[in-house]
Amino acid sequence: MNRQKLFILVILAMVTGLIGMPGAFAQEAGACNIEAPMEAVELNALGWSFPILDFYYSEIEACDAVENIDINVNQLSGEDVQEQVNLALSAGGDSPYDILSGANGQVADWGGKGWLMPLNDLIDKYRDEYDLDDIPAANWEVGAIDGNIYGIPVIANTLHLFYRSDVLEEMGMMPPETYADVVALCDAIGLDNMDWDAPFGMDLSRPRGWELEFFMVLGGLGGSYIGEGSMPAFNSPEGVQAVEVMLDVYNSCLGEAASSMSNNNMETGMHQGTLPIVKLWASRAAGMSDPDSTELTDVIDFAPAPRVVEGGPRAASAWLDFFFIPANTTNDPDLIFRIIMEGVDAASQQQAAMFGIPTRSSAANFGGKYLPAASGTLAESVGNYSKNPANDIAVAKLSEFLPLTATGEMSPQEALDAAAAAYTEEATAQGYIEG
Amino acid sequence: MERRIFLGFAGPSIVVMCLLMVMPLIMAIWLGMHFMTFDNVLEPQWVGLRNFAAALADERFWQSFNFTALYIVVVVPSWIVIGFVVALLLDQVTGLARGVYLSIFLLPFIIVPIVGTIMFRQLFEPSGLLRWVYQELLNERFRYTEQTVKSLILFHGIWYVTPFTLVVYFAGLQTLPQDLMEASGIDGASRLQKIRHIVIPHVRSLTLFILLFSIMDSYRVFDSVFVLTGLNPLYKANTIMTYTFQTATQLERLGRANAMAVLTIIGIMVVLIPNLYLSWKEQIAER
Repeated sequence: MNRQKLFILVILAMVTGLIGMPGAFAQEAGACNIEAPMEAVELNALGWSFPILDFYYSEIEACDAVENIDINVNQLSGEDVQEQVNLALSAGGDSPYDILSGANGQVADWGGKGWLMPLNDLIDKYRDEYDLDDIPAANWEVGAIDGNIYGIPVIANTLHLFYRSDVLEEMGMMPPETYADVVALCDAIGLDNMDWDAPFGMDLSRPRGWELEFFMVLGGLGGSYIGEGSMPAFNSPEGVQAVEVMLDVYNSCLGEAASSMSNNNMETGMHQGTLPIVKLWASRAAGMSDPDSTELTDVIDFAPAPRVVEGGPRAASAWLDFFFIPANTTNDPDLIFRIIMEGVDAASQQQAAMFGIPTRSSAANFGGKYLPAASGTLAESVGNYSKNPANDIAVAKLSEFLPLTATGEMSPQEALDAAAAAYTEEATAQGYIEG
Repeated sequence: MERRIFLGFAGPSIVVMCLLMVMPLIMAIWLGMHFMTFDNVLEPQWVGLRNFAAALADERFWQSFNFTALYIVVVVPSWIVIGFVVALLLDQVTGLARGVYLSIFLLPFIIVPIVGTIMFRQLFEPSGLLRWVYQELLNERFRYTEQTVKSLILFHGIWYVTPFTLVVYFAGLQTLPQDLMEASGIDGASRLQKIRHIVIPHVRSLTLFILLFSIMDSYRVFDSVFVLTGLNPLYKANTIMTYTFQTATQLERLGRANAMAVLTIIGIMVVLIPNLYLSWKEQIAER
């Protein structure tokens, strides 16, 4: 090979490399392709913690390596994040946080109160650079109120069944299709069976868990939380039936063990083989296939969430998780938006699919073996909360009273009526119901 | 003392106390007279004494008060009795062993409260050590119920603060006049008689101090209840502090929560005034 040919080959290789480089950078997870700002910028992020979100935050934190950018991520429990945001943003001063993460409920709650920044302009500006049309329009719509997009949808989530295929096979049973099947399965295993922590796991360990399960079962029966004029609709005959279904499961499957059935404990219980079947978040499914987390990877399988009535919707909600930018951030929203986008670009979402369900169409085929169960549940789910800002009050009041049905302190009707009365008082005081 | 000199010395403290104690109290009273949620923080609505009346008529407020009272009644005497007894035993130990024992007894007090409580809870989680021991010994599952959770809160309270009373009593015992003890021994006093007639009167002012401190401290118990119950109404283990917090943050009734805080201060004063009076009388007598 003479010198001239070698030179041409080297030039060709360099040109090819240069052309391919931006694409390669853009596709590389863990990279942050943002130029250093002129002045030092400190960004504070606040959000929940679960595997796929932890991954996104680690991707966002990659921008910490860029000169003059300092990113601090605070991940707390759901209730704690809500409290922190309430305290930080309600007074209307400068926001101590620049990046927030939350779910559907927070769009209505925080967005409706004017605490979040509409992102429409930034989305239009960076639509091509970050291929934002890769995220389905329906997902953007969930994060919007009256055309203002407040949230960047990054995770789809739902609850479905995780079960021990070997145990069900030995019992000659199929994964439950309805709650009646769940109760039958629990009766077959036995509530006092010392081999298991409980025959079935479902998050009734905390007040909010009761409310969430109620929302899903009520939806499965065709009921809703709020009716005309923001009046309460949950204390309907469907509402009472929903609580009765939950109590059937509680009494046959959980009993006093319910208090220990937090999402974390159920995940650990499946890993350690102390629970045969649970209804748990899809975002916690990836660890079930991780040999570093459990020795039971071969026998843990997945099925869609049960229905309340045959042929009805699955008793599971369709959640989206979002990144938000507070309206009163003191930092450059453009920079914040790009840093978030670096963490949730196509390459990052494809990797994130190992931990949960990403929102980009291009990442749809990268998920684990739980994906058919999760997708099947999402396709037939009961949807999600309405965007009525009074919904948050209904959630709080139902959380307050529903757990009291477990001890018999209140009947389902009494608990729902008490929640409805408290909701009406609060919603009227806050101007959502005309006094 | 001239008024000018008195004000010169006391003035800075009075200003600081006004800023840090009186002003927040006035703010709390003022906020307690408003309907305020996170939606209308900037424009709260005047409701007069309605929040105070609503708090006093709230069944769960009284349920919280009852558990707080139970906590004080069980935990405070336990701190005093166990702390005193262990201090007496420790006083008998000499040399290096005394330091070792003291360090061990102080461990719970050294750990950051919230961390200690989380670790304590984890011992009873499904994969926790004490839960396993419980199940192995009794061949039945440990469950979080109203009884077990309340018991754990009380046990945690005793475990966590007893080292403080132990240290106070132990320090007090070091100032015990030995000649008096020896003289009583020569006169034939038994060990129990010495404790009853010399030691207990000697540490009386310390006991009063511990009592004051303990009642205030246990009245505002929060960490252990928050961590061990997760504010789950199933356990009926809210204290006044956790219920006030829940009212403010979860129910978003900031005005009512302020009214509860003011009522709590009034409650503490009602409990403490007799003790303060006793303390004052004792000081007068000592002069």
